[in-house]
Parts: sequence; C-alpha cells; structure tokens
Amino acid sequence: MAADLMVEAQDVTKVYHTGSTEAQALRGVTINIEPGEFAAIVGPSGSGKTTLLNLIGALDVSTEGKLTVLGEDIKTLSKRQRADMRLHQLGFVFQAYNLMPVLTAQENVQFVLELQGNKQDSLERSQAILNQLGLSELAKRRPNELSGGQQQRVAIARAVAAQPQLVLADEPTANLDGENAEILLKLMRELNQNQGITFVFSTHDPRVMAHARRVITLVDGRVTEDKAKDSA
Amino acid sequence: MSLSLTTQYAVKSLGRHKRRTLLSVVGIGLGCSVCVFMIAFVRGESQMMLRAAAESGNGHLRIVPAAWAQTRENDLRLAEWQTILAQVGQHQGIRIATPHARKEGLLAFGTRSTGLEIVGVDPNTEQAANRLVRKLSQGHYLNGELGTTVIGQTVATRLDVELDDELMVTAAAQGGEIQSGMLRIVGIVSTGSKDLDATICHIHLQDLEQLTGLSGAGDVTILLTEPRRLSKLSAALEQSLPAEAKIVTWREIVPELASGTKIDETWTRLTVGIIMLVVFLGIASAQLTAVLERRREFAVLSALGMRGGPLVRIMIVEGLFLGLVGGLLGLILGGAFAHRVATVGIDFSKMYGEADMSISNILIDPVFYGDFGWWIIPLAFELALSAALLSSLYPAWYAARTDPATALRVEH
Repeated sequence: MAADLMVEAQDVTKVYHTGSTEAQALRGVTINIEPGEFAAIVGPSGSGKTTLLNLIGALDVSTEGKLTVLGEDIKTLSKRQRADMRLHQLGFVFQAYNLMPVLTAQENVQFVLELQGNKQDSLERSQAILNQLGLSELAKRRPNELSGGQQQRVAIARAVAAQPQLVLADEPTANLDGENAEILLKLMRELNQNQGITFVFSTHDPRVMAHARRVITLVDGRVTEDKAKDSA
Repeated sequence: MSLSLTTQYAVKSLGRHKRRTLLSVVGIGLGCSVCVFMIAFVRGESQMMLRAAAESGNGHLRIVPAAWAQTRENDLRLAEWQTILAQVGQHQGIRIATPHARKEGLLAFGTRSTGLEIVGVDPNTEQAANRLVRKLSQGHYLNGELGTTVIGQTVATRLDVELDDELMVTAAAQGGEIQSGMLRIVGIVSTGSKDLDATICHIHLQDLEQLTGLSGAGDVTILLTEPRRLSKLSAALEQSLPAEAKIVTWREIVPELASGTKIDETWTRLTVGIIMLVVFLGIASAQLTAVLERRREFAVLSALGMRGGPLVRIMIVEGLFLGLVGGLLGLILGGAFAHRVATVGIDFSKMYGEADMSISNILIDPVFYGDFGWWIIPLAFELALSAALLSSLYPAWYAARTDPATALRVEH
C-alpha cells in the first residue's frame, strides 16, 4: 500500500521507567515526513533524537500519542509484524556501523537479502549493490579490515539492499572524519535523489545539517524548530 | 549446496573466542568419552557376567518342570526330556543344550563326609556347556563309564581323597528312603575358587536316576549363540513345550546376578547423567556468556528484522557444531579406551590377589573386557549433541528476547 506520508507522528510521548525513576524522552512530538525527504533530526545529547528514530523504526512503541509509519499504526502491530516491517520496508544505519564482524562486506549485505527470503539471487544482488555504490573492491573484506568510512558505506549498502522506502540513520557520521562524513552524505543524498529513498537521520554535526533538506530540532523531547530548505 | 549465511554466521562466531570454543569442545569431548567408556565397560561386564553365569552350568535358558519356578524343588523331573532336547536342537541360535538332574546328597570317604548338590549330567554335552568342568587339575571328565564322578578340589581336600578313590554317595530316594552307592573319582576340578570347588560333584544322569529312583532330567540347560536374542528364542521355544514344562531365563535362574547387573547399569546411568549434567552446565554458562557478549549484535540483527526463531537457530547451530565436534572427540577418546579394554581387558587379579573370583557359584574371569561395536558411534553423538543442544536452549531463548531498542540504547 502506498502511503501518502512516510511518517505521521501526533503528540508522541515516550517515557522510560528505570526502577522507580521515570525519564520522559519525548514530550508530545508532532511531525510528518513525506516520501523522498532527506531530513535531519538535530539536537543536543539527551534531546530524544535516538528515541524518535527508534519509534519511527518500529524498534519501540510510544507511551502516548499516535505514530503512523508507512500507513501502519506502530502501536497496533505485533512484535512479529514490527520485525517484518523493519525487514521489508525500513533500513537502518547505526553510529557504530554494527556490521557483523565475522562476515565479509558482501556477506553483510547478502545477509539482509537472505533474511528477506531472497536466497536465490542474494549473492548477485548484494554484489550489484556494492558495485553500484563503488564498494566492490571491499566485498571480500571483513569489517576489521575496513576503515570507519568504508564500514559505514557498507552499512548504507546493507540498509538499502532490501530496497526500503525509508532509511533511518542514527548519527551516521559521528565516528567519521570530515572527508569520510562528506563522502557518506553524498552517497546518501545520491540514493535519495536517484532512487527516491527517504532518509531521516539524527545528528548534531553542523556539516551534516548543511546537507539536509529539512532540519527538525529537538530539545528536551520537544520539537522546537522544523525548518525545510529550498530544493537542491 | 552452500550453507545459509545465518548458519555461516553461527559457525564463524564460534571462531571469535577460539579458546572458549576449544574448552567447550574439550569439555563435551571429555565428558562424552568418560561416559562412552563407562557404558562400554559396564555393557562388556554385564555380557561377561552373563556368559560366566551361563557357562557355569546355569545356561541362558532352562527348560524346567512347570512347578519348579514356584518351588525350586530338585526332585521334580521332566518326563519327556529327550523329546524336549530333540525339539530344542531344531531351533536356530542354540549353541548347546544339555540335561541336568540335581539332588542334595552326602559324599563320604572313611570317617569324613561332606554334603553338597550332586549333579547328574550327560558327559557328552556337559563339557561343551560348562566351563567349570574344563578346569580339571587331575584325571579326566566323565565318559561312558558308569559309577564314576568328578569332584571339586575343595571336596577332595575335605574328604582327603585322590583319583580312583571310591566315594560313598548317599541321598534320599523317592518316598524318603535313604539310598547309597559307590562312585570312583575320575577327575578333580580346580577352578581357582575354593567356594566353587566345594560345590562340584558331577555324576552320570543314569547313576543319579538309579540312586534316587527319580527318572528323567530335572532340566534342559540351553546356551545360545547370541544371548541378545534370548527373548525371541525363549518365546519360540515356549510354544513348542509340553504343558508340564516351562522355560526360565538366566534372570530367574540366577536372580542375584540379574539384580547385580541391574544395579550396575542403574549406577552407570546415574553417573553418566551427573557427568553430562556437569558438561551441560559448563556449556550453558559458556554459551550464555557468548550471548551476553554479542547482545549488541543480536540487537542489530533484530533491528534489521530478524525474528526470534532465526536468532534461536543461530545459538542452536552453535550448540550443534560444538556437540558434533565434541562428540567426535568423545568418540575418538572414549572409543580408543573402549577398544583397548574390549581387546586387552583389565586384569583385576592383582587387585583382588588370592580372593575368590566367584559369585553365586559363577566363576568370574579376573580379566574384564568391555563391549565395543558400531553402537559406540551413535552413543557418543547422542550424548554430546543432547548435552550441547540442551545447554544452548536457555542462551538461545535469552538471545531471542533481546530488545533491540534497549540493547542499542545501552550502547549509546
């Protein structure tokens, strides 16, 4: 089902309970993400960026409010349905790359395709994606044989391998130097422009913010600013 | 066919902590090898005991008068024993069948006497069926000559007799009348067990008939070529027996040996269970540590959309791999020991010294041999795989419960 909006959050609140203490990570967040957006969620540490991405990524459910992702109300989905949504419709990029250390770059990409059930052509498709992203020479290397920038590019390849509609990236450049951060953002932007994949990423890096077409600012779990830039 | 990446991931993950994996495999292998060896030894011991019991005159099976099973009365006789003997001989799997008749009696020489169970035998078949009478230290075994006897060394010592001496034998005949006769000693048996040698007095079946007035054999003792087929053969023989005869197995003939064997097997099972429990706990601990160390990875896999089932499968595959390699190690080590004990044996004579190697009138060989065969292969893998797979279940369940949001938040 084609959704009109990628993400529709209405008054979303998230409260974490640790023993008797309560931490309110999000306080009534209301945002919409449209297809094809290249949006950054920015804010200081502890502002709720990761929590919001986790909710949008169906990794967690909100305490209050309504969050619809790709037309599905996340709260109404079972654990299994949320896992299926993550597998087939969403892509993830993590700050610490989080590639499987015992698998090669190509196997890391192929792994997601196999999980989707595409065992037949998973090898060819993973090779094609790495080739498309200019990573074919890294295919046989394991993560510990790759630089941070290379690992994150492979992580992008893994995220888009399953042809998701929406890719969520949590501080994707936080561990990268300026040059590698620039390469990564260009790659993400190309995928956004050429393949129409919607990207939502969190960051507090001004260089990254500069690439975003929309910047949503979170402070203390509230959206304090939501600013769209002119089309590139 | 190539392995799926989930399987490859599981197997390759074991290579991350080679020392831990090695220790786990060695743990499984050693536990498994000890269990394989113990089971092989006890199986061999049980078979050896059974063989010793059967070949000490008890047989694997015995056809007895129907009332014997209840009364254990030695005066009971099988009227048609020769027909029964002929029928038994027609069955396959019978090594030998021989008749016996027993009677409590008194042997006397001069002023000395001793009481014992006199056994009437068929000399032609008895030597092949009874290992005790092959331990002749003097003379020869019974032959066609009537009025002769073979006695044990202890009996000879008690009566202070030697070969060719004439013993007076006295027994209660049918109706309670006391009958006596003379028997010439043609052989003296020395089994190595004084207790056993005090019980041996073999005479011709016909001589016993004449002495007691009871005609016929008290039983037909049967030795099988394959004792494992005991139940089938017993059932087959039972069908062809006349109503007044009944078949009993060695378990009923020597119940103390049957219960001893059962106790040995139970202890072995218990010990094997304890060893495998220790192995199980060790592997479960190592596997759980592996899951805790890879919590972030499991969270990422879950975030990528992997469900609980495949996460469980990863840990099960790891357990399976550990079990297979551990089982192989257990097979090699345990199998090697079991093979050695099955071929060379363990000599307990030095340990027991001059002590009697007999139990319940059964002559035990001081060299114990274990059992060895193809059955060791499935046993080793069954033990290793069950321990490894069971120990993977809790870590697998723990891995499947990984909440990606929580695990990834902890990382931040």
